[in-house]
Amino acid sequence: MTCDQAKTRMTEYWSLALGEAEQKEFSEHLASCEACRSEVSRIGALWQSLDLLPVEEPSGKVRERFYEMLGAYRQGLASVETRKGEPWWRKPVWQIAAAAAVLAIGMGIGYGVRGGGQPPGEVSQLREEVANMRQLVALSLLQQQSASERLRGVSWSYQVEPSDKEVLNALVTAVNHDPNVNVRLAAVDALRPFTGSPATHLAARNAVVQALPKQTVPIVQVALIDFLAELKERNAAPELRRLVSDPDIDSGVRKRAEWALERMQ
Amino acid sequence: MTDNAVMEQVSAGQVAQLAVLFERYHRPLFRYFVSMNRDRETAEDLVQDVFFRMLRYRTSYNPAQSFTSWMYQIARNAGVDRLRKRRTEVVDIETFADRRAELVSASPGPEESASRGQDLALLRRALDRLPEDKREILVLSRFQGMKYDDIAAVLGCEVATVKVRVYRAIRALEQIYFALEREKVS
Repeated sequence: MTCDQAKTRMTEYWSLALGEAEQKEFSEHLASCEACRSEVSRIGALWQSLDLLPVEEPSGKVRERFYEMLGAYRQGLASVETRKGEPWWRKPVWQIAAAAAVLAIGMGIGYGVRGGGQPPGEVSQLREEVANMRQLVALSLLQQQSASERLRGVSWSYQVEPSDKEVLNALVTAVNHDPNVNVRLAAVDALRPFTGSPATHLAARNAVVQALPKQTVPIVQVALIDFLAELKERNAAPELRRLVSDPDIDSGVRKRAEWALERMQ
Repeated sequence: MTDNAVMEQVSAGQVAQLAVLFERYHRPLFRYFVSMNRDRETAEDLVQDVFFRMLRYRTSYNPAQSFTSWMYQIARNAGVDRLRKRRTEVVDIETFADRRAELVSASPGPEESASRGQDLALLRRALDRLPEDKREILVLSRFQGMKYDDIAAVLGCEVATVKVRVYRAIRALEQIYFALEREKVS
């Protein structure tokens, strides 16, 4: 290997991107060439120190603006597609002509008849768009690495329909597995609307029952116990009894479990 | 699901799926733009612009091409268009490079207070002084973690050329860094 060839491989060497054969050839060259060896060590240090530069983070506005833009784009797309599929008599020019004719006839026969409301199809389509968008935002945020973003995801979940099973599952996952206690606590609270929806109340109640044995942090245990007492969820009674009789459990949690059992009777 | 598969869905009309790509890439894109122009506000506008262009040109996406290469091609075009627009808006404005040089030579910020911070601030200033093409190739390879063949697709050149250009860029950075260090000492 010549020095020129070695130079073009240095950056791959620092990035550990050389193949086995290339690596061997490169190392052999370094062993025999002091100039390249010194360059690899000198510039290599600079190459590595680029890792230490502070990482710039965008503000929260970027996400807000993106979802606004996406929502507007989808809405525009939906209305264009609706127009494309419309028959000729629903195109604007014919609608104006028809409206003028109806107005003339209407004026002739008086104001006796009143039609009402917006076309139900468009309204429901728009509602569905908005619901999908909220679901998407909540689910995306709940998967973020930063705990504050996941907390925002929990807040967004209040804006989705409480019958949304995907969001319910994401919240249950957060209650059971999120490494951050604040996110777990917020997710417990966010399950409440789901226990009131006919489509999800059974799944949500079961999730709360099953979450209790998985928790070890007293504050989260107490939040779940309060919730179960509020729901008067009798399926939780065995776990509550276990907590009451376990001397290793935090005394505050034991007392709360005892209180919940009394309340359920 | 891979980036390419998600973008194929967007291309086929499931535009809401763009949110998945946004969550994966808005931060790296922001860092790319900040590294290129050191202006956070402009960088945020450009991130928005890139995702809007993805929607607008979604049907032109070729699934055989790497998604990140396509995305950075869009990002580069968005950056160039922005610069062009700024030039036509302000007739007397110096070139972007001159403006950058001004920003770079401005008095050091608070980040230069600590001793380790001083070295990093010096490195940041060296990076800012690097000619745009060299800075871009370093940003793509070093900060965006792109493979050389993806960079070659973005820049429209051979992989061998990318290797040479990355090497030249880090060499140039070294020279600027040590020149700045000498200035500081004297």
